Amino acid sequence: MALTGDEAKVPPGDPVTVSTRLIDAGTTIMQRRLPVREMNCHVSTFAIYGGDMSRQIETHHYVHRVNGEFLQCAVYASDRSNAPLIGIEYIISDRLYENLPNDEQKLWHSHAYEVKSGSWAYPRLPEVVATPELKNIAKTYGKFWCTWQIDRGDKLPMGAPELMMSPQGVGQGVLNPELVKIRDEKYNISTDELKHQRAEIAEPEWINPMADYWKQHGKCFVLDIGTVEMNRNAQFP
Amino acid sequence: MEKAVHLSAKGGPEVPGEPTKTGTSMVDTAAAAVQSFAPINQIHQHLCAFHFYAYDMTRQVEAHHFCGHINEDMRQCLIYDGPEANARLIGLEYIVAEKLFMTLPDDEKKLWHTHEWEVKGGLLFMPGVPEAIQRQDLEKVVKTYGKAYHFWQVDLGHELPIGLPNIMMAVTRDRQLYPEMVKETEKRFGVSIEKEREARAYMTGPDHGIHPLANGGGKGIKLEVREVDIKPVESVPRVFV
Repeated sequence: MALTGDEAKVPPGDPVTVSTRLIDAGTTIMQRRLPVREMNCHVSTFAIYGGDMSRQIETHHYVHRVNGEFLQCAVYASDRSNAPLIGIEYIISDRLYENLPNDEQKLWHSHAYEVKSGSWAYPRLPEVVATPELKNIAKTYGKFWCTWQIDRGDKLPMGAPELMMSPQGVGQGVLNPELVKIRDEKYNISTDELKHQRAEIAEPEWINPMADYWKQHGKCFVLDIGTVEMNRNAQFP
Repeated sequence: MEKAVHLSAKGGPEVPGEPTKTGTSMVDTAAAAVQSFAPINQIHQHLCAFHFYAYDMTRQVEAHHFCGHINEDMRQCLIYDGPEANARLIGLEYIVAEKLFMTLPDDEKKLWHTHEWEVKGGLLFMPGVPEAIQRQDLEKVVKTYGKAYHFWQVDLGHELPIGLPNIMMAVTRDRQLYPEMVKETEKRFGVSIEKEREARAYMTGPDHGIHPLANGGGKGIKLEVREVDIKPVESVPRVFV
């Protein structure tokens, strides 16, 4: 039973050719790729499909801090160089979250449990260095769209994006210990130990009940692909 | 009704939020030094092009793709609204060779768009790279298909990424894109679309021609949200491939 999507199987395709390698090497030198260089943190954590909470995945977030209250993350299936890009997560402060319309708030998840339980980890970064940031993250909310479901064996990105939930201490939010063990062994960390070390980090006084909507309301959100007439100013395609 | 601003000239909303505290930026500095960034280091190229919403061609966005090869037949790209360090991460795109596209189920094919006219029309370029070198790579891109999502509707002036994801399409013929938007982009990046169009005239698109089911199959595509009950644990079949 492959709990983590085995990204070694995907995607199909030929090995990168010499000519592509050369072009890539050239553009790497000639192009500045400024926003990409702003991704300064690697977070290892987990996520759960809203449309089917029995499906849990390991995620690797590469985090770009836009300002003190807003982070944008590219999410990959592993930390390897050929890792599939499986989605994007946005992270906002509690202050920004409270100002969102109600319908929007339903799409976001909280991070307090993820931090306190030790799921949210910074591989290779000493815990003491990470602590100030963990205190911030515990108060934030995230919105994560997953666009490539490699855990179900999709060799290429198929279907509509899935809205992802964060691990929680109750119900289907509880992580499968096997999944956590695989992660822990890879990075030589102990999620349990992190949990104890983080006892000091304060629980947020208020987690908005519109977040983690499934917990309070037993409902989740899925996307359907609708076919409509296109509003257009010229022929298409 | 929110009004879309199609002009590519920056001037979009500022992302709200307090400046980063020193203690926090120190975490970034330390992390950048000791952590590994293999998937990010794989991002080798910057492509600039335009997307429009798959259900509304009149909403057009300049899209900066930062792409890495996952293998010879597939690239995956982060899409930003500009080339600057503080640009907003507004979406992503997967780009696959024709032979991979052909393996997709028919229902999936409509979500993918062609790149033939984007390339041949000169409307996709690699900022800072000599045209002759660009063409070596674009000879491959011209035959590919892409699946693009935007999660942040900056054209509506959204300060934060609210709402649902949108499938995006790309230009397939002349007169679809706003000429003033294209001109402004040309000026900002010092490129000539007309000249490149001539230089790329020799290129050929997908070997089997543009698949009729691609590009929405001629229809608009819109993602719609549906509220569902979460499945009770017992009833959930665990299927892992």
